[in-house]
Amino acid sequence: MAEYAKPLPSITSESKPFWDACRRHRFVIQRCLDCGSFQHYPRGVCASCWGDRLEWRESRGQGKVYTFTVTERTQTQGFREEVPYVVAYVELDEGVQVLTNLVGCAPGDVRIGMRVAVTFEDVNDQVSIPRFAPLEEASGAR
Amino acid sequence: MGNLRDKYCIVGVGETEYSRNSGRTTRAMAVEAIKKAMNDAGLGPKDVDGMMSYQQNDSTPSLIVGPDLGIRLNFWVDMVGGGSSTEALIGLAMGAIEVGMCRTVALFRSMNGYTEVRIGGTGARAAAPVRGQELATRPYGMTSAGQVFAPTFMRHMHDYGTSSAQVAHVKVAHSKHASQNPKALYKERVTVEDVLNSRWIVKPLRLLDCCVETDNATCLVVTSAERARDLRQRPIYLMGVAGRVSKPRTDFPWAHGPLSRVAGYYAKDIVFPMAGIGPEDVDLTGSYDAFTFTTLLQLEEYGFCKKGEGGAYVSSGIIELAGKRPNNTSGGHLCEAYTHGMNLVIENVRQLRGLADDYCPGWAEGKHSYDYSPGKCRQVKDAEIAMNLGWSTPATGSALILRR
Repeated sequence: MAEYAKPLPSITSESKPFWDACRRHRFVIQRCLDCGSFQHYPRGVCASCWGDRLEWRESRGQGKVYTFTVTERTQTQGFREEVPYVVAYVELDEGVQVLTNLVGCAPGDVRIGMRVAVTFEDVNDQVSIPRFAPLEEASGAR
Repeated sequence: MGNLRDKYCIVGVGETEYSRNSGRTTRAMAVEAIKKAMNDAGLGPKDVDGMMSYQQNDSTPSLIVGPDLGIRLNFWVDMVGGGSSTEALIGLAMGAIEVGMCRTVALFRSMNGYTEVRIGGTGARAAAPVRGQELATRPYGMTSAGQVFAPTFMRHMHDYGTSSAQVAHVKVAHSKHASQNPKALYKERVTVEDVLNSRWIVKPLRLLDCCVETDNATCLVVTSAERARDLRQRPIYLMGVAGRVSKPRTDFPWAHGPLSRVAGYYAKDIVFPMAGIGPEDVDLTGSYDAFTFTTLLQLEEYGFCKKGEGGAYVSSGIIELAGKRPNNTSGGHLCEAYTHGMNLVIENVRQLRGLADDYCPGWAEGKHSYDYSPGKCRQVKDAEIAMNLGWSTPATGSALILRR
């Protein structure tokens, strides 16, 4: 495997279960056992009710593009060699929004509202990064 | 807080040259800007006993700058922050004076924003430690302000049909204003076509949708209305202030509330009631222009036009000097200089004094031609009330209402 040049996630105690699940190609989101709220990105408590009994629910990993941007210029290592690339907020069918990259289609073809599904890139021995692709292109969704 | 309306004033303003090669430390630039603002107010070193600044690990703190000017401080604080800090710190300065901690505050921002720490993650910033929200955004290649804001702009275009050509008028207007400002870094007027033909940076932002990067220091002096009466300049009264008002989730704001809604939605309900006026009473605005879109989104959110109609508003001519309510008459961050907001407040202070430092030979005596052609006048006629709309991110903003 060629060395991965892009920034790696800094995995914290709050986000470790999320990244562990990504390694197994599962996209999980936090759900509060007290008030039922879903939240993503992972936090230490439920930001809606302050409950600390948070469970991890597996998402189907499908949703639609809520908004996106196409980067043509960046200084970020690993990404600057790959412009243009798409950063998007994907709204999962479970309701939460996820910051991610869109892959598997030309940046010029991305539209708000298009259906997408998660696909995982195993970037090294420990980390898999979830990105999203147009639904018919996604390989990692179940 | 409403009872503090008109009890505090901005009495002095000053700045260094706006350049892309200061060749100086932030300490030296801060000293120059503070000295100029105090001279502007007619204050000496014994007359200022409070100092405030904001920075992002790219400046020199008050306790170093103060002694350079022989100032003994009764109060100082240096806050972390960029855009939207100016208005917030003016409010905090009012509070510090009100409770008796000090009497007069010099508030500065000094930054080598081009030659040292650049906003886009280059220069010294490229080596900064990763923390907070960046833990989640960096793996996806989201590292610059433009990238963080652009999804909000894209969603606004989707929700309301806002076009790039409409938004380009913000740059066109500010470039016209800059052509009447001897201090402006970019004095050349541009057209909508120039904006649309400039290269992509981060869609929907092209090069000319983005602000300049400059080296500079800026300073404002705040004191009580009572002290202000004896000073050199006409006092500019603080009618209302809102500081760093935020959406429900500032770290991941897209998950809560419409993404095309920005923090002014909440700030307006603080600042307008405090000042006892509405948007229709404001003669000129300083809506923060880190990008063309940030000006538009805030003008909508504060009620200068209806939500979703910002594209029509900014392209109607209203925000130009000859229009009904000009915005960023100095040229703003898009053309004059990037100061994290302070030059936009300084400009409004000068406008309300009737002393815009344009190309009119008699500007220093308040004699203006009101000829808004290139290289001429940029004074707004009979400006009574001005407003600043400070922007940090789509999720956080500040506001300030001033009167003469």
